Amino acid sequence: MSTTELLVPLHVKYIQSLGENKDDLAYHLTAHLRLNAIYWGLTALCIMGHQDALDREEMIKFVDDCWDDEIGGYAAHPGHDAHLLSTLSAIQILTTQDALEHVKVDRVVLFILSLQQPDGSVAGDQWGEIDTRFLYCAVQALSLLGRLDEFNKEKAVAYLRRCRNFDGGFGSSPGGESHAAQGNLHEVDEQMLGWWLAERQVPNGGFNGRPEKLEDVCYSFWVLSVLAILRKMTWIDSEKLTTFILSAQDPEGGGIADRPGDMVDVFHTHFGVAGLSLLGYPGLNDLDPVYCMPAELIKRKGLTKAWLALPRRDAIGGKPDHE
Amino acid sequence: MVSNHNVKRTRVSPEALEAKRLKELSKVKEYLALNDDLLARKRSKTYRKEDFEATTRILSINPEFYTAWNYRREIFLNGLFPASTPAQIDEFLSSDLDMTMAQLQRHPKVYWIWNHRRWCLEHVPEGPGEDGDSREGWRRDNWNKEMFVAEKMLDRDPRNFHAWNYRRYIVASWPSIRTKDDELKYTKKKIQSNFSNFSAWHQRSKVLGAMWEVTPATRTEQDEGMSSHHTYSRFWLIILEEFEFVKSALWTDPGDQSAWIYHRWLIGEGDDLVVLQREIDVIEELLVEEPDSKWCLDSLVHFQRLLLQHKDESSVDVSSIQQRCAFALTKLEAIDPKRNQRYQDIKLQL
Ligand SMILES: [Zn+2]
Repeated sequence: MSTTELLVPLHVKYIQSLGENKDDLAYHLTAHLRLNAIYWGLTALCIMGHQDALDREEMIKFVDDCWDDEIGGYAAHPGHDAHLLSTLSAIQILTTQDALEHVKVDRVVLFILSLQQPDGSVAGDQWGEIDTRFLYCAVQALSLLGRLDEFNKEKAVAYLRRCRNFDGGFGSSPGGESHAAQGNLHEVDEQMLGWWLAERQVPNGGFNGRPEKLEDVCYSFWVLSVLAILRKMTWIDSEKLTTFILSAQDPEGGGIADRPGDMVDVFHTHFGVAGLSLLGYPGLNDLDPVYCMPAELIKRKGLTKAWLALPRRDAIGGKPDHE
Repeated sequence: MVSNHNVKRTRVSPEALEAKRLKELSKVKEYLALNDDLLARKRSKTYRKEDFEATTRILSINPEFYTAWNYRREIFLNGLFPASTPAQIDEFLSSDLDMTMAQLQRHPKVYWIWNHRRWCLEHVPEGPGEDGDSREGWRRDNWNKEMFVAEKMLDRDPRNFHAWNYRRYIVASWPSIRTKDDELKYTKKKIQSNFSNFSAWHQRSKVLGAMWEVTPATRTEQDEGMSSHHTYSRFWLIILEEFEFVKSALWTDPGDQSAWIYHRWLIGEGDDLVVLQREIDVIEELLVEEPDSKWCLDSLVHFQRLLLQHKDESSVDVSSIQQRCAFALTKLEAIDPKRNQRYQDIKLQL
């Protein structure tokens, strides 16, 4: 099968098969990412219009089992410790499955708020690892729970301001900064940031994460999502990027890799599909680049910001050109 | 699989797959036994030496198992430390630093290992002496060793951002380990060995940025005393040298983006008209040599637009600047079609 189109049925099958690898050592070595993986798989399925391909009840039950009652947050796997990253995944999954009533909201809010440090930064758990992406996770989780007003935004903004880099606001976590650019940091120089992002595109159409580094499907998504938030998606060659993401598909087993010819995984499958959605690929559902969740869902919750993706191209006939 | 980077896809026959499955079966069983044992110990909240060893076993197989790292630290805090002298605690932590060092060789990009090292460092007790310098002895030794480790990692992979972050963290936590001048020297060395080392340029911008923040403040606070005046002019000398340094990088390889980004940072908002005009001249000089250099043209547009902020100055001729920008943008559209919408958008804003 060729990789000039998105192989939806194969990807759906690939995502469905992920829970069946229990004889693989790798499956167990990545238990600490299980809840994140479910969020990636579920969101990719939603964007491809196959939300029901994974059993809803079973998924909700698994999320419930990840609850860490001692800490008051979600772990990535039953029996593990709660962490902010997996707590966000749990909230994203339950939001998508319209099952937020399963969340002990007051306790989760308390857990997340307790992670904010006096200087405004946010730790990933009680052990105190600080990263700007955790700030983004906290904001996103609280916002999905409708409790963002309890977060100390002034301090957070002051902290982010200190994290700003000369390339227009990017540290180790483009996602985190993108939210900042969207929300409160009007001072971020949109021109500079747009320039920096547009220059991440390399000749084969993919994007790298830092200058002079290799291109990657997941970076392509980070860059696209920020460009969508800045409403500057026309600043890049979208056809070439579409071709690049499609060429990273595994045309036999399904799934998308970091770049053509590499092993696929659910992380890059998710970001590949998400990127294609922002690029207006025909037949996909819209993705909200701020939350990285189905746009329709975020709209229903009244959380949509002023982003702008490329218009959805119609009909399969409108498949992208190839050079 | 959950997340791969740089792993080549290979086609395996169903038979080979089945053989692999059977071979892995015993490994899976063994791992799951270790896993269940560890989680059971954690649930029972025991903090003994044998529990500690259980974390060592599973972490040597799977350093990403963050819950095991957490449990390991709980054992330190609730079991081992309370029963130990400061010297023993120092030894525990030193040996954990050695253990994680070995792991970093194999997994240089695992967050949890770097995190655990930070935690260890921050828990080194005071000593061996009671006062003064000697009280900081253990700590100083450990931080020094960490600096050595971080720089070793950077020698191996100069773009490992974990190592750069970690190095920044060490300098922030133990400032006497490297002065600002040391930092400038270090980043310069890294940049000179590879002009496209964006991480080193980035770190350099952080160091100079910090000096920038401190210097003007010191000047006002110390009512223009001799020493502060000295600091101030010394700082300007550094900036002047900095422009020379970037210039040499730009001329060495005008096609490398890193130095151009740094150059833009150095000029900033372009408040200083003299500097701005001087740097525009530098680029125009380079453009004569490299008439199709995209970065040259793009930077020229950027800086000339900054020049427009000074349109009240007699030396700034608005219509000539606009014309030159439009000319450069048209050329950019032709040589860089991927991003031509950006060039068109800017043209409309002129
Ligand atoms: Zn990737």
